[in-house]
Amino acid sequence: MGTSASQLPKDLLSEYQELTFLTKQEILLAHKRFTELLAKDDRSCSNPRLPMSRILTLPELKSNPFKERICLVFSTSDNKDGSLTFEDFLDLLSAFSDSATSDIKSHYAFRIFDFDDDGTLDRKDLERLVNCLTGDTDETRLTSDEMKQLINNILEESDIDKDGTVNLSEFQHVISRSPDFVSSFKIVL
Amino acid sequence: MGSTEPSSNFLRLVSEEMDTSELTVVFCDDMQQPFCDQPPGGQSKHQQGWPGGSAQGQGADDYVWGLSRDRDPNVPLRNLPLTMQEKRDTRERRHLQRRSIGCWESWRRSQSIMRRRCLEQMWQFLSGLQPWRRTLHSIEGKFGVGVKVYFAFLRYLVYLNLISCLLTGGLIQAPEFIFDVDNRLYYHGGFKNVSVLHFLLGTGVLEHSPVFYRFYKPVLHWGQCLNTPLLFLLGVSSVLILSLVVLVRRTVNGYKHKWMLGVRFSFNMSFKVFGSWDFCIQDPASAALKQRVIRDELKMDLEEERYHLRVSQRTCRQKLWLCFIRLLLNFMVVILLGGSFYLIYRATAFSQSGKLPENEFLRLLQQYLPPFTITLVNFVLPQLFRIISKFEDYSLTVQVNITLVRSIILKLACLGIFLFFLYMTLQTNNNECWENQFGQEMYKLLVFDFLACFTVTFFVMFPKTLLREHFPNNNLLKVMGVQKFVIPFHVLDLIYSQTVTWVGVFYCPLLPFISLIKLFLVFYIKKFAVRRCCDPAHRVFRASNSSVLFHFILLLGLLMATVVLGITLNKLPPSPKCGAFMDRGTVFNVTADCVDSLPRVPRDLIHFMSSEAFALSLILAEIILLTSSMSQRRANNKSIERLKNMLVICSSDKWFLVRHQSAWLRSQSPESSDFAGSGQLSPPPLQEDLS
Repeated sequence: MGTSASQLPKDLLSEYQELTFLTKQEILLAHKRFTELLAKDDRSCSNPRLPMSRILTLPELKSNPFKERICLVFSTSDNKDGSLTFEDFLDLLSAFSDSATSDIKSHYAFRIFDFDDDGTLDRKDLERLVNCLTGDTDETRLTSDEMKQLINNILEESDIDKDGTVNLSEFQHVISRSPDFVSSFKIVL
Repeated sequence: MGSTEPSSNFLRLVSEEMDTSELTVVFCDDMQQPFCDQPPGGQSKHQQGWPGGSAQGQGADDYVWGLSRDRDPNVPLRNLPLTMQEKRDTRERRHLQRRSIGCWESWRRSQSIMRRRCLEQMWQFLSGLQPWRRTLHSIEGKFGVGVKVYFAFLRYLVYLNLISCLLTGGLIQAPEFIFDVDNRLYYHGGFKNVSVLHFLLGTGVLEHSPVFYRFYKPVLHWGQCLNTPLLFLLGVSSVLILSLVVLVRRTVNGYKHKWMLGVRFSFNMSFKVFGSWDFCIQDPASAALKQRVIRDELKMDLEEERYHLRVSQRTCRQKLWLCFIRLLLNFMVVILLGGSFYLIYRATAFSQSGKLPENEFLRLLQQYLPPFTITLVNFVLPQLFRIISKFEDYSLTVQVNITLVRSIILKLACLGIFLFFLYMTLQTNNNECWENQFGQEMYKLLVFDFLACFTVTFFVMFPKTLLREHFPNNNLLKVMGVQKFVIPFHVLDLIYSQTVTWVGVFYCPLLPFISLIKLFLVFYIKKFAVRRCCDPAHRVFRASNSSVLFHFILLLGLLMATVVLGITLNKLPPSPKCGAFMDRGTVFNVTADCVDSLPRVPRDLIHFMSSEAFALSLILAEIILLTSSMSQRRANNKSIERLKNMLVICSSDKWFLVRHQSAWLRSQSPESSDFAGSGQLSPPPLQEDLS
């Protein structure tokens, strides 16, 4: 893939520009950061994979409660270990970039929040989501009564077809009403 | 992989109007009981359920996704939620398609792609020109969206003032400098014995400079039509009208969401859960803080819900007691407001009394008494309001909002009262050039506001932070607490200074320029304050809602400024010996000479356009437009309701079909293994249902 070279080939760079929302400078910066994270002997390898533990050392992700989910969603690895190739990494940055459309952003947000990968946000997903938001320790968690009340409220508001779960279109419907979302769903290197 | 065929067949039939991915999952979950003998690989692929979520990216999922998205080949590849490899595949497919279509069509498509890229690049270039992009970004990263909204609002005001500057510069100052040579020479000679005091008070050199109204003499530039008074009025009114248009657009844009949705669709909690994490945050401390903020906010909302429950259970006696308390506290608020207004009145009366003390410093103090009083009142009372609102037993949101509303009333009313007393004193005083005096007052308000901002930051907040850093264990400092950047109050300051600019622009045409410089400096001062002295506030403002609210308050400020200007221009005749409107009875008939000099037909036309008949027809046309847009809005609301109901019906249809399908499959269960292998069977009952 050419990622082993210290500089990206020109045609690959322009292809990345076409396929992602990133500018040339951003792609080059991403490449630099990615190679910095790679172990020495991996750099010579043709399409190196960065294990999740290394990616999570990025300061942009370090304090994010959804960091593992983000890696898992964007990873194309067969054994679902959340490891990323450079292209996966670009996909990640593209979805979180300034110029990505709200459609793309909400789609990936949905997948990040869908902890069990079953395509809908059910009560369990929502509970884990809320725990991530409030901090997942005993003293920071909401009480079970509060959690129940909260999840009931969410389902009442966003579960339009009343099937007990929030699906992608319902999620996008809610998100499209929240102009804050696009501005906060961002990671910039 | 044989079993994927029927599911995609099924999907092809129903994917016209529904979300495919959800259905895949629902359907496959139902299928799992009859097909427990499937190979594990195939099952996991279904469970994942995500179009294109798998590593291989081929197969049924990809196909299903492609069905809904690939249909429009003009969607940019990057807009597809696919991995890089899948995007490449899609591109290949599109190229193949393009070969099969005619060359005209392919040329058209590539042209549209070219155009889009050009536009994107231009847009990128333009957004790169915006000032302070990096700074805003880093502030957003460190303190979240709420603080950024303040700075973005500040930048917005800078733009607004820049445009006003260009307008006044082009229409008022430039012609004056080009055509009125005598005036310019006179001005150049005037730079003697300049002192700082002059710049603070707007007297001395500044009094006769282009900063104030007096400088502009009525000169004919070209024929009867292009003269200073006309340009002057045109410049000021264009500033006000442009600001109005820009502001109304901004406010309405923000409100559109609410209007469109109506009351029934509230997504409060869902917003907070789905959209409240700020992915920009990098600092672990900020992340922990954000988590605390979200937790507090969620708990507060739940608490509020319980509060409403409690309200509905209040006894009669409690209600009476509460009513009494609220009345008492509101009475106190009114007294506080009245007291502050009286204070402002005394200050204004004292500084306008005409008796000037000998000492320069005392004179400065006397001159600056009204702005000082206004700033002091605005600094102290909001804090008091915050305390008062705690005793009123409102829910927490109402508490914050009511404090904000009271502060707004205070802020704008203070200015209004000051202007009113100024107007009264101007009416009775026989000042040679009252316009200049009015302009000077506005100038002083603006300058003092800046000085206050500077002083508070560098002589109050910064030393406090330094003390805290050097003596972290001091009890006194601990009691005083951490300094917070209370966004709404800072925004109110901005709105106040902008209102002053609008009120003063007629009497002090360079005020937008001064305000521009001031905002520029304020940006850096506040940046310093946020970075160095403040911890982020606990209660984070919802960025969008608050920005709409801020624009709305700014709009109120603009309206107030226009009303004040209208009254002063209407009621006070222009002073006979100075300014662009000398020797005229009123400001408004600047075009009279020009119109009289025109030939007959255009003159009659203009006379007709200014007549009542024309105004009446204009009003009628506006009423018709308004009525039609209102009814359109109502129709839109109705159709939204209908669409939502349709969604519910659709989903129940889906459920019905899926249940039907799985029942049919179960009834065929002896043949199920056979079915999984053959694949081309399509379920007959489904066809009947659809027809």
